[in-house]
Parts: sequence; C-alpha cells; structure tokens
Amino acid sequence: MSANYIAQPDLGFIAEIRGLGGETLKKCYQCATCSVACPIAPEDSPFPRKEMIAASWGLKDKLISNGDIWLCHQCGDCTDMCPRGAAPGDVLAAVRSAAITEYATPKALAKAVNDPSKLKLLLGIPAAWFALLAIITMGFGGIMEKIFHFLFGDALGGRLHWSHAHEGAEHVIAHSNFVSTWFVDMTFVPTAIFATAVFFLALKRFIVDIHENAVLEGKTDKTSLDYKALLMSIKNVIPMVLKHDKFNQCGSNKDRATPHMMVLFAFIGLFIVTAVCGTMLYVGNYAGPYPQLNPIKWLANIAGVALVIGSGMMIKNRLSNKEQITAYKDWFILGVVFALGLSGMLTEMARIAEIAWLAYFFYWIHLIAIFNLFAFLPFSKMAHIVYRTVAMGYADYANRK
Amino acid sequence: MDKKYGVYICTGCGIGDTLDMDALTGVPGEEGVSCTTHPFLCSKAGVELIQKDIDEGKVNAMVIGACSRRVNFDVFNFPGCIIERANLREGVVWPHSRETYPALTEEQKDDGESFDQVQMKAEDYIKMGMVRLEKVGLPEPYQTQSFSKKVLVLGGGVTGMSAALDAAKAGYEVTIVEKEAALGGYAAKLRGQMPVQMPFETLQAPVVDALIQEVEGNTNIDVRTNCIVARIAGQPGEFTVTMKTPGEKIPFDVPFPLPPEELLDENGKELDADAAHEKYLKFNEGREDILSLDPDGELYGAVVLAAGWRPDVLEGEAYAHLSVDNPDVVTNDEFEMIAAKGKILRPSNGKEAKNVVFIQSAGKEEDDSDFEYTGAVTSMVALKQARYVREDYADGKAYVIYQHMRTPGLQEYFYKAMQQDDGIFLTKGAVTDVTATSSELMVTAQNTLLGENLVLKADMVVVASGMVPATKDDPIINLAYRQGPGFRDNDIFGQYADSNYICFPYETQRTGIYAAGTVRRAMTIEESVEDATGAALKAIQCIESANRGMAVHPRSGDMTYPDFFFQRCTQCKRCTVECPFGALDDDARGTPKANPTRCRRCGTCMGACPERIISFADYTIDSIGSQVKAISVPSEDDYDEPPLRFLALVCENDALPAFDMVGMNRVDYSPDVRVIPVRCLGSVNTIWIKDALAQGMDGVILIGCKHGDDYQCHFVKGSELAEIRVKKIGDALASLALENERVAFEEVAIDEYDKLPKIINDFVEEVDALGPNPFKGF
Repeated sequence: MSANYIAQPDLGFIAEIRGLGGETLKKCYQCATCSVACPIAPEDSPFPRKEMIAASWGLKDKLISNGDIWLCHQCGDCTDMCPRGAAPGDVLAAVRSAAITEYATPKALAKAVNDPSKLKLLLGIPAAWFALLAIITMGFGGIMEKIFHFLFGDALGGRLHWSHAHEGAEHVIAHSNFVSTWFVDMTFVPTAIFATAVFFLALKRFIVDIHENAVLEGKTDKTSLDYKALLMSIKNVIPMVLKHDKFNQCGSNKDRATPHMMVLFAFIGLFIVTAVCGTMLYVGNYAGPYPQLNPIKWLANIAGVALVIGSGMMIKNRLSNKEQITAYKDWFILGVVFALGLSGMLTEMARIAEIAWLAYFFYWIHLIAIFNLFAFLPFSKMAHIVYRTVAMGYADYANRK
Repeated sequence: MDKKYGVYICTGCGIGDTLDMDALTGVPGEEGVSCTTHPFLCSKAGVELIQKDIDEGKVNAMVIGACSRRVNFDVFNFPGCIIERANLREGVVWPHSRETYPALTEEQKDDGESFDQVQMKAEDYIKMGMVRLEKVGLPEPYQTQSFSKKVLVLGGGVTGMSAALDAAKAGYEVTIVEKEAALGGYAAKLRGQMPVQMPFETLQAPVVDALIQEVEGNTNIDVRTNCIVARIAGQPGEFTVTMKTPGEKIPFDVPFPLPPEELLDENGKELDADAAHEKYLKFNEGREDILSLDPDGELYGAVVLAAGWRPDVLEGEAYAHLSVDNPDVVTNDEFEMIAAKGKILRPSNGKEAKNVVFIQSAGKEEDDSDFEYTGAVTSMVALKQARYVREDYADGKAYVIYQHMRTPGLQEYFYKAMQQDDGIFLTKGAVTDVTATSSELMVTAQNTLLGENLVLKADMVVVASGMVPATKDDPIINLAYRQGPGFRDNDIFGQYADSNYICFPYETQRTGIYAAGTVRRAMTIEESVEDATGAALKAIQCIESANRGMAVHPRSGDMTYPDFFFQRCTQCKRCTVECPFGALDDDARGTPKANPTRCRRCGTCMGACPERIISFADYTIDSIGSQVKAISVPSEDDYDEPPLRFLALVCENDALPAFDMVGMNRVDYSPDVRVIPVRCLGSVNTIWIKDALAQGMDGVILIGCKHGDDYQCHFVKGSELAEIRVKKIGDALASLALENERVAFEEVAIDEYDKLPKIINDFVEEVDALGPNPFKGF
C-alpha cells in the first residue's frame, strides 16, 4: 500500500460514465454514507465510496479492473441515503457498462450496442437476414429439398431432410415452414460460438485484472491465481446466485429481486426447452410444434409467461422509479428480453388461433429479438450474467470479507 | 437631590410565604423609612402604587424588594428616581428552600439561640439596599467640548468603500483615507470573484468597479488617496485627526512608547520615572506630545478601520518540502496575478499550464492545519482558481489537495458547482513533497481519499498563502494615546485587529475604532461587504451615544463616567496603565486625563486606585463599602454558635445571571453569603475586602469571568487584574493574622450556573474549617 500511485484522470472516461447513467458521479463528497448503507458491501474496504471518488477523478484504471463493481447488485440503498443527491448505484452500473465494453472484442460492436443511433442497424440486419431466410424457406423449399438430397443423399439412413415439418403436414402452421430450422440453427449456433469466444477472451483478461486489482488494494489474501480453485468458487456461488441471496439483502430496490428471479429462471427453463427440442429434432427426428399436453410444452409456456411478466415488471418498476436513473443500455436489454418473451407467446397464440401470417410475423420478431440477445450478449448489460458470477466467484475465492 | 426614601416589598412569587414579613418590614421601619408590601408588585396596580407615591412627592429613592434586577427592569423604571432592587426572589427565597433551611418554630423564636439564616439574608439585602440609596446619586451626562458626527474610514478597498457608502446613506459625512493612489484595494486586481448572490454557482466580475463608481458619485463621501493617518488624538465624538502622505515626516506623527528594553539602564535596572520620561522625549524627538492637539487637525466622531491585508510570504524551512523556490510553485496571490493577465502560463517557460495542483495545507503528515492567516477563504479561492484553469483549457485539470475544505454558508453552492466540473479534482490529503523533474512537478500526498500515496503530475503548483492583516505590520490607527498608537495584545488574536468575534464583532479595545473586513480575519468579498455594514453601524452608534453622553458598549446607555477627586491623586499612573481601553492619558506630571467618551465604564480604574479617588455617580467606593458594612455579622455575643458570614463580589455580566439561574432552578446553596453585584471584577477595590474582613466577616469570594487568551471578560482585563490584586492582598491579611484562604477568586461562565452552588458551598466549608474570623464582635 505504500507504493506511489500516479493518478491520471481521464476526462473522456468521466464523460462516458455520465453518458451511461452515471450523471451524478461528481456530486460525491466522500462521507461514505453509501458504504455504510450498502447491505452487501464487504466490511473490509467496502464499496461504493472508493469507487465514487475514482469515478469522479476519472481513474479508469481503478474501476474497470475492479471486481467490486460486480459485487454491487444496484439495490439503491446508497442512492437513497446519499446526502448529496449522488446515485452511487447508478454510477457503478455505468462503470459496469463501461467495463463490459472495455473487455469486449470487437470494440466497435460493443460501442454500437450502447449507442442509440445504432439501434436501427442492430435490428435491421437480423430483420433483413431472417426475412431473406424466410423467403428462401417459403419460396424455394423445393430447390432446397433438391440441394439437400443432392448433398446428403441417403446419409444417416435418409434422415437428413430439408423440411422438418411433420409428415404430410406441410400446411400446418409450424415455424419451420416459415424459416427452416436448418437456417435458424445455422444462424444461432455460430452466434453462440462467437459469443462464447468473446466471453472467453474477455474473461482471460478480466480474471487477471480483478486479481491484480485486489492484490494492489489489499482486498485478498491470495497472492497468485489458482484457476482450479477459482472454478470451484464459481461453482460455490451458483446456488447463491440462483437463490438471489445477495439480491434479497437489498433494501430500497428489494422489489427488483422477484422479477429478476423470474427472468433468470425463465431463461433457464427456455434453455432446457430448446435443448430438449434440439435433441428431439436431430436425434429423435421429432419436430415441433409440440402438442399442448407435452410436459416440455408446459415448461415452455410457464417459462414464457414468467419471462413476459418478469421483464414487464422490470420495465414498470423502471418507469415508476424516478430515483433510479435508467439509461439507454437498460432500456435496450429490457426491450430485447420483453420483446423476446412477448413475441414468443404471441407466435404461439396466433398459431393456435390458426392465423398463419400473424404467427409468422411474430416469429420473425421473435427471431430478431433472440439474435439481439445472443449476438450482443457479451456487449450488452446481459453480460453481467457472466462477469458478476465470475466476480462473485472470485470474491469467494479471494476471501473478500 | 433631596432624597425621599421608600421601601416596597413584593410578597408574591413565594417571598411572602417564605419570609417573616413583619420582621422584614420592620427593618426600614427602624430607620424611619416607610415600607409598603404588595402581593403582586410588578402588576399594574403594584406599579401604580409606587408611581402614586412618586407623584405625590413622597419618594424618589426606593428599595424594591422583589425579584432580581435582571428581570422587570422595564416595569420598575421610574425616571428621575434612584432605584435599588433588593433581590429577594432569585437571591433569597428561591435558592434557600425551607426544606433545607426551615423557618423558626414559635418556641425557637423566643429562645434567643436559634436564628433563621434565610430571613437574615433578606433583612441584610433590604439594609444594604437602603444604604446604597443614601450613597449614590443620579448621573449627569458628559458632554464633549466640540463634537463631530463625521466618520473616518481607513482603507479604500471593498470593506472601506462599503462602510463609507453605508454610513453615507445613513446621512453621515465620511472621509475615506487610502494609502494607494486609487481606490479598490486588492479586489481591483482580481481576475474573477467568488459569487456574492444566488445561485452562488459561477464566478463573477469583481464588484469593486461598481463600488468605486458609487463612492465617487456620493456627495457625502470625501476620498483622500495617497494619504495615511499621522495621528488620531482625542476621543470619540471629537477625534482630532492629522493626515499626511505616506513616508512624510511631520511634527504630528504619533509618538511611540519606549520599547521595554529601552526602559532599562546599562545594568539592566529599571529607569526611574524622570530618566524614562527623558528617554521617551528623546526617542520621539521632533514629534508633538500626545496631549498637544493639532490646530489644523480635522474633527471626526468615529473611525472604521478597514486597512485590509497583504499576501503572506511563504519561505524558509517550514515550506522547503513544497519547493516554494521553484518558479512554477506560486502562491495563490501570484497565481491570481498570472490569471488576471490572461491565459495561465508557466512562469518558468511561458508554456501553457494545463495541470495545476492547489495545496491548502503545508503540514506534511503531522500537522493538518492550513497555512497561517487563511480561514475559509483559501478553500474558496482554490476552487475559484481551479475554475480559471478550466476556463482557459478544455482539457485542463485542476487538483485541490486540502486538509479542510471550508465553504461556509451559501458558498456551499459554489463548492457544489465547482465540484461538478469534470476537470476539477478534490481530495483531502497531506502533501508531503513537491519535486521538480526536468519538465514537470510531481506532488506527493498521503492519506488521501483515494487511499494510497497519491502522486500528481503538474505544470504548476499553487500554495494557499494566507491574508496577513495590515495590523500585523503597522498600528495604522496611530492613536495619540498614552498606552500607545496601536491595539494592545494583538498577538493573542494572531495579529488581527483585536475584536471579540463572537460576542462583540467590530468592537476593538479602543472605543470609537471599529474594525471591519480582513483586518479582523480572513474574509471573502461577500463577507467583507457585510462586515463593513456592521462596523459602519457601530461607528454611528458610537457617535450618537457619545453625543448623548452615554456609554456605547457594553454598558450601552450608561450615563455615568469616572469622576476623579484630583486633590488626592498621587500620580501613580496605575489607572492610566491598567485601563483596558486606553481611556486615560496622563500629562508630564502623571496626572490622569480622563477621556470619558473613550471609557467603557467598567471601573477598572476605580479598582486600581490606591487612593480610592475614582467613582461613578451610582457606583462609588463608599457606596459598595457602606453596603459591605451594612451586612450584619452576628458574633458570640449574639448566639452561642453564630452563623458564618461571607461576602461575594459578583460580576454582573456572567456570574450574576448565573446566580439568578441557580435561583430559578431552585438549587440550594449556603444562605450565609451576601452577594454584591459589581460592574466588573476589575472595579473591585481591595478596600472592600479589607473592610469586610475587618468587620468580622469570615470570607470574601470574587466571582467573575474567565480570563487568559480566550478571555470572556466583557472588559478584557478586569477579571485578570482582579485576580492579581487579590493575590497581592495576602500581605495585608497576614498583618491581620488572617489566612489567605479567606479570600477566594473564581471564574464562571454564564452557562456554568450549575457549578455555582458547589463553588459557594466548598468555599463556605473551607473557611468553616479555618474557624470564625477572630475579629468578629470587635
């Protein structure tokens, strides 16, 4: 701790934080009420007091690589109690957003996700892409069938067909009749691989950085990084994450825990549904849509409803909460999630109502939303699912108390 | 005045229930003085009862035996009459409960051995009051020979101009004396000014230009630039002022007293009076004596001292770690001058200074005090100058490292606004080191809000040097007073023009001289403007009081003044020397010359005089002495075990109200103590103590205000002098074979009433242990 720290304030970083919802970062006068108010800050060098001065000084180096910013769940107790009208919770949220951008590659994409003027592009490209795929699927099914036959012939015992529609059910309303499942998976599997790769590259730097920062600021008793032990710690914190243990300690924004939990479990449910459906399709050659009595369908419906209600509640809370700053980054991800859930449910309803064009329209929207969620996962606020989990795991590993 | 006496006793508020009223009314009866009781004397009917007697010519000197004189003074106000308030309520029945000091039973009344301590005290108070009426008279207001209502303002800066405008607008003629060639002072040199109006968020153009215009356009204000005061002689209402250009030598330059070392001969022995006087004359050769008035001098009624400040010079070992010799390390004053010229450039090479560190405290780690003479001003100046950096450079960065960030009052908005600037960085911290590399300065600070040892790279470093009051270097007022031309004891105020900030702002130890602005403490322009108003109003109050023959402060409205019986004066000069306000001058022979409008009426001279020739119309050596003698001192001739008897001489400023509060809170203390209020312990003449002991009283306690560097004495030196005098009384006591412990000195602040009962009871116990005064009954 006796080493000299050469402070090099970054005016650009201050402006960036202001733009990301950290507008109040310069109001802090360091009374540390926030650190006392925070229900989840560790006792030893607690946040967010020190993060506030680092932010107001524009000390990017002290913030981006600071694991503590991820321990914050933005309860808002600090913001409520601040005697100067600063909002440390929102400042930390803005810093997290900046950190996500900082660790992401390519940077241009990360910047675009946080830039409202790029929204049209982010929606337009997948919209056009899926429209193209739909045209091919619907207009050129025969040609595709021939191409498939030419390419694969009787491979796998003739199980590789272009169409995934039920036998003799070409006229039934099924998503694969709109955009071929092949196309969907050819889009999303690489997208998922891309997102994973981006996360992998980011985490490689992230973990080293937060460890270095913890050592420098005396927040850990560990001197070297043991990845195996860290992985064990991450495993340890997962039940905590699922149970929202930290979130439930919040005071002011306690209401946020329930919708957040709904959304999280909805995604887990939908992940299971997707995995099962994929397996059934490619292994069991059993294509959707599933009948309503199928237990997988139950899970899908429950998760879908939970996602809509959960994200809807979040939007409502944000709209009615005048204390908390809601920046573009927040609206973007909430919009994507809500649109994803709602369009999924509407697709199903339109299908049941047998209005084919409407079902396909909603499905198109649904695909755009899914693309936005997955492709931009490492760049949007949604990336917290990875960074926070890793940071909480690191805190567990580092004996941060 | 042909006095007609009367005694009026109120039986309300528990007085009638507690005391034997027949016996009490019998006290004046014995003297043939009529005594009237009333159950509610401060009621309309009660007051009319007294007024009727006055109107019928029956009384004009009355003892009112009721509550403390500190209450209902407006009710028992009978112009043209002498009033003595015998404090039977707060002084007798309330602090001596019948539970602790029971009344006598019927048997006890006749046994000749029992006595009622509470009744005894009440009767003494009536007796003491009656005696005082005999001894005092009504005051005649003092009138000066000539009189001027003009106000003299020393200093033509923001404070001086503001004070002049305020006085001028109130209808008084004002002269501003400014030593420089133009009005404006330091404020005229600034680039920008801290805000003086809502919303207090932005820098503003200095107000000084508008002030100069207003002053120059005001017909009541006469401006003299290139001018200083050579001497101010006389007293408020008739100050005779001689002016000159700076540097000039004239006969009416004020003479200075000999420095202490000059008062010794070659062997280190003190010079005798004649030799000292001769040396003094030689020391001041070519200068007229203080008592010779300049025939060409101008008359003024009162003076506002607004002489301002100079920037402190930071040099030497104490600041070596800050590299103060480096050309890029400048004081805030130097930085202001650089900024006033235009863009901020480095003094060393003329390049842009985009990174500037402002240092508010010099103390390294061990001392967190700011630079000397700073107050809150340098905090705000640092914020203001940080803003200059940002105004000049969009990518400029200004750092303020402080131990204290003081932005009092609405200036907090200014702090908040500056804090919002992205390029202004604030942290508490101890600057340990400033070092220069080839291209920049490195500032190291410890214990910052950022945690570790912080290092900042800077193009320039600004240290917050303070505002040294002009009174540190020069008396400025150049008073032709025997005690010297300047203020005394300025060192205990850090060389600021002396003034009690909390209780009596503007007031200095020289009546008629009112300090304002940065001679009082480091101030902003905003504060100085307000301060100027206060001082201008004090100057007007002084003029109007002096004109009516009244004291200005703190005994506002008092029309008495010290009266000397010169036939018996021995020219010992004690009064001249000890007067805390320099009110007395003496001539070549040493005979004191009173200057009544300089006087605060504390009576310190009265307490000092060994010949006891100084008195006030309603407060004399004899009046108090007679009250002491009126106290009954029972001896063994009266009772087998007579009660002890004590005299308490109590300062009326803090200790007396504290005594009243003890009464109001009904806390018991020994009823054997007789309280005589005094104007100030400084007015206590030791003869009263000797008289009390000589007549058999067992002990005397003096209770007054705290003294020392943080004194609370309303007359600055009174309680301190009293303690010295009491210590010196020891020899006299020894000659009477009395113990030193019989005379005590205590300090009490007005809020320490809870300590008083213990102080009294402890003293009573201590003396009780010594045994009764052997002089009892002689």
